[in-house]
Amino acid sequence: MPLRFDIKNTFTLVLVLAVIVLFPLLLSSLWVKVVTSALIFSLAALGVSVVFAQLGLINLSQIALVGVGGWVLLRLNYATELPFTVMLVLGGIVTASIGALLALPALRMRGLYLALVTLMAAGAFQILFNAFQFPNGGEGFWGVAQQSAGVVRRPAFAQSDANYLRYVISAVAICITVVGLHRYAAPGRAWAMTRQSEANAMAAGVNVTFYKLWAFALSGCVAGIAGGLLAGALQQLDARSFLAGDSILLFALAIVGGVYHWLGAIIAGLLFKLLPALLNDFGLSADIAMVIFGAALLHAIMTAPQGIAGQLIGAISSIGKKGSATDD
Amino acid sequence: MIDISNLTVKFGGVVALDDLSLKITDDVVGLIGPNGAGKTTLTNAFSGFVNVSSGSVSVNGLNLIDMPPHKRTRWGVARSFQKVQTVFDLTVEEHLNTVLDAKGASGQLREKAIVRALNFVGLAAQRKTLGVDLNPYHRRMTEIAKCLVGAPRIILLDEPGGGLSESEMLELRRIILGIHPEFGAQILLVDHDVDLIRDVCTSTVVLDFGKLIAFGPTEEVLQDEVVKAAYLGR
Repeated sequence: MPLRFDIKNTFTLVLVLAVIVLFPLLLSSLWVKVVTSALIFSLAALGVSVVFAQLGLINLSQIALVGVGGWVLLRLNYATELPFTVMLVLGGIVTASIGALLALPALRMRGLYLALVTLMAAGAFQILFNAFQFPNGGEGFWGVAQQSAGVVRRPAFAQSDANYLRYVISAVAICITVVGLHRYAAPGRAWAMTRQSEANAMAAGVNVTFYKLWAFALSGCVAGIAGGLLAGALQQLDARSFLAGDSILLFALAIVGGVYHWLGAIIAGLLFKLLPALLNDFGLSADIAMVIFGAALLHAIMTAPQGIAGQLIGAISSIGKKGSATDD
Repeated sequence: MIDISNLTVKFGGVVALDDLSLKITDDVVGLIGPNGAGKTTLTNAFSGFVNVSSGSVSVNGLNLIDMPPHKRTRWGVARSFQKVQTVFDLTVEEHLNTVLDAKGASGQLREKAIVRALNFVGLAAQRKTLGVDLNPYHRRMTEIAKCLVGAPRIILLDEPGGGLSESEMLELRRIILGIHPEFGAQILLVDHDVDLIRDVCTSTVVLDFGKLIAFGPTEEVLQDEVVKAAYLGR
């Protein structure tokens, strides 16, 4: 379906541009960093949503894939002179292929068993990251040396943290658009039919294997881009940041945020990174976030299957309806 | 023409279809039999959802057995399921588009195919309606419309009359009878409703315990003493 530039789309575009230009001006330098990493993890949550909302499958290796994307970008950064955006895209492509590889068990399994397999894979990556660390400018393939980390090139126009945040917002907007376009095209339809029943999808001529791999590849791709953006933001990655358990937390937060709308992924990222920082800022322990997450998850499962995003959109559209009702 | 020869399907020790051979040339063929007779197994063998132990299923001279299910659909095997498979968050149009995506139909042809199928089953007004908002009859018609797009060669309808009212059944009869003249596909109709079978099928296949017990013109088959004993319990 071609993207039509009607009023709604133009409005969204203007809104995104306004956010890109104005938002970083409103934040202090510390909060620019926090919001940057929150948005980066929104992108990772977006990947979780693709697989869960569209196909009904649970992938618990997303944080590991973020690590893979980060690793690839750091590796390329020290081995080549490629511009940042090119490295970012390459990281996305490599991670997409690894994501598709992880989908192979998904061809046979679903539900709890698939979740366990992907979690085990995330555990394996956790061990690999710990064993080999992330490249920091050292010699050899693994590129690790006992030294302070080198510099990760950022795009020329995004050297400052505020401009880098603008770059991240743009990247997130592009990824949301690409993922959103899938919903209304052949892959989205094929996924919906597969989620309903694989037999039904095959009877409609859908190549179920191909489209499952595609969903996992797309999910992996955005995770890889998130990893690359994270490497650019932090300049150095630490193996301890890519724990298998964090993938479970991210999955839970994607549910809390809402998997059926891109806004849910943004909310998930903000909860994942911004909420603990806010609690710290208020002088509270960041661990309180875990208690809040648990309560929010219960709330989502029991009363809001569309997550916070679904509730927000429902509230906005009901206000809109009331407004138009009084106009009549 | 459908040519089934020496088809055997086993589930562990259970022989669901036992050395079945059939040549079907009629346009609308009924498939009946008591529960567990192998009706659904036969449609599944057509679609490629079960592993066939031996034998072959050919349509118009092409052996389907080695093709994966989605390729059979692309070639022209369409089917509806006993349990309606409407997807809640897809519109009626999107359901048909999924089939056309797979068959590689392009712009104008696609539009034509959708309009033709929807007009035929009387769903033109529901084109943009989401699956979740359709009533059971419209869901059933969406299933049938899905079978009609993209030049089907054979359509397997698995109990399309399930849960429909008297007047809806009349509409269903009209639609099933109209498919062959309008779309040219051969139809294999599985149903428990003997009246429906009698009204629309020129010939009928009767299975019992995976074996063929009768095959011929519908009226003769339904009068057959063996069929009455097995199926109608008399």
